[in-house]
Amino acid sequence: MSLFTIVIKNLRHRPTRSLLTMVGISVGIAAVVALTGLARGFQTSWEASYRARGTDLIVARVTSRDPLPTPFSSKISDRLRTMPGVTAVGGVLADLMSIEDSPTILIAGWETNTFLWKHLRINQGRLPASENEKVIMLGAIAAEVLNKKVGDTAQIDTERFTVCGIYTSEALSENGSIVMPLGALQALTTRDGMVNFVNMKLDPALGPDGVRQLREAIGRALPGFQSFDASQVSQANMAVQISKGMSLATSLIAVAVGAVGVMNTMLMSVFERMHEIGVLLAIGWRRRRIVTMILLESMLLSLVGGIVGIAIGLVSLRVLAWTPILRGRIEPDTSAIVLLLALAVSVALGTLGGLYPAWVGARMSPSTGLRHE
Amino acid sequence: MATRPPLIDARNLTRTFDNGAVTALRDVSFAVADGEFVSIIGPSGCGKSSLLNLLGALDTPTSGEIWFAGRSLGKIRDLSQFRAQTIGFVFQSFHLLPTLTAIENVQVPMLETDLGRAERRSRAVDLLHAVGLDHRLHHLPTKLSGGERQRVAIARSLANNPKVLLADEPTGNLDTGSSQVVLALLTQIHRERGMTVITVTHDAGVAGAAERTIRMLDGRIVSDSTGSAAGGK
Repeated sequence: MSLFTIVIKNLRHRPTRSLLTMVGISVGIAAVVALTGLARGFQTSWEASYRARGTDLIVARVTSRDPLPTPFSSKISDRLRTMPGVTAVGGVLADLMSIEDSPTILIAGWETNTFLWKHLRINQGRLPASENEKVIMLGAIAAEVLNKKVGDTAQIDTERFTVCGIYTSEALSENGSIVMPLGALQALTTRDGMVNFVNMKLDPALGPDGVRQLREAIGRALPGFQSFDASQVSQANMAVQISKGMSLATSLIAVAVGAVGVMNTMLMSVFERMHEIGVLLAIGWRRRRIVTMILLESMLLSLVGGIVGIAIGLVSLRVLAWTPILRGRIEPDTSAIVLLLALAVSVALGTLGGLYPAWVGARMSPSTGLRHE
Repeated sequence: MATRPPLIDARNLTRTFDNGAVTALRDVSFAVADGEFVSIIGPSGCGKSSLLNLLGALDTPTSGEIWFAGRSLGKIRDLSQFRAQTIGFVFQSFHLLPTLTAIENVQVPMLETDLGRAERRSRAVDLLHAVGLDHRLHHLPTKLSGGERQRVAIARSLANNPKVLLADEPTGNLDTGSSQVVLALLTQIHRERGMTVITVTHDAGVAGAAERTIRMLDGRIVSDSTGSAAGGK
């Protein structure tokens, strides 16, 4: 027998209460896993789409914290193309628009005949033939969700477009997207000659120092513009920041509720066991062993609750990833870091929730405890 | 009692509660020699349990001092360790942990020692054998009779081989048969181990088994007798 035996038996002695506390913790941790997984997935999906295109650097005019940067003249692309170390440039206009009965969706206009299109695997149909052709290409998941095939038409805002091709991309978010020729989207949105991103491919020989010098040169040549790599552009994105902020806030609330639940359970447990704790102190247990026992009980409750919560969170993420609003747009992040974070949160929750009850139990005098029958 | 060196020397003990509104002990002084079997008797509320709590370092006196083997309890920093190593407690209501089996209850005080898991278990088996409970090792307290529970509690009190056994009404909740078994055990422990035993009791039989009887009334010692004069008379 060890201290752990006593801890386990104490928890099993009140199974309903232990179970309900673990359920409370599980719900909190499931929320942490689901929300963090979605927020991080949102960010990594953005990054993945840039990486899939082979984009090394993105130039945008970040004048506000809108989800999409302010549009600017596509002539900027010509200036960037001439800079040393730049091997290819592609202008992108993106906007949130509604397509038929589907929820608002991000539609991208890509400059034709650029590297932007090269990574797409064409499942059916073809690429757009010209900059102003009124056609769209659908990612495989978007085609499934919209129930469209090559040759069908789709109403976007006020215009009808023909589906010219269906593609698959390495980046899941692109498989749930719609792309069209840049010129066609500029016409649809009455933003002739405008883009809000320029994607750039760089000479691999440039190296980190060369990239840094190029970015400094862009800053000098184009005041008001900023250049980012894939991870920076996703981090700077307001939508990503909002989703991460909301995920953090909701997770904190869920964790706080869980900690209060653990504290309540452990306090009740300590008050009910004043007599037992008095006996343990009387027969020579040190106060720190009482603290350890109560903390171990609360941490074990939280740990088991956390593990169950992680499982629930992972299942929730799978389910959420299949809902029409998220399918093909976000690949939830279920990486080890998210799961370890959730596990750490659950253990921290048990420690926090158990500290006060442990203090209450340990500060009691043995004779006071023995008087509690 | 005077011939043996005092193991416990209680000097002018006073204990009040509720900011002095209640006085449980009034200027109590006595000494207990190493290896003595002492019973403290008196009516309810006379202060005998308060005295036992002070002797067991479960409580501190309002004034006065207790010396244990030449050390003042007031100067001992880690009273938990002192209790674990020096005192064995037997309570009227047994005070076993309800979630643990007999053998686990006996091992609980040993968690404060350096003994390994196997050694703790082996010692618990030996102690339960010594109190005649070999067949009840894995029973929960609820599955044991009152007498068996008290025997488990006695085995637990001996777990760390203490110098003193303090028993608070050890037969108070037992029938006559179980009381006799428990009393025989206490006597045997005193005789065979040379252990100092101090009991607080109403039971004339328990008091009669002691070699010295201290009578208390209203927080004071009113008589202290040894040999044939001792007993619950």
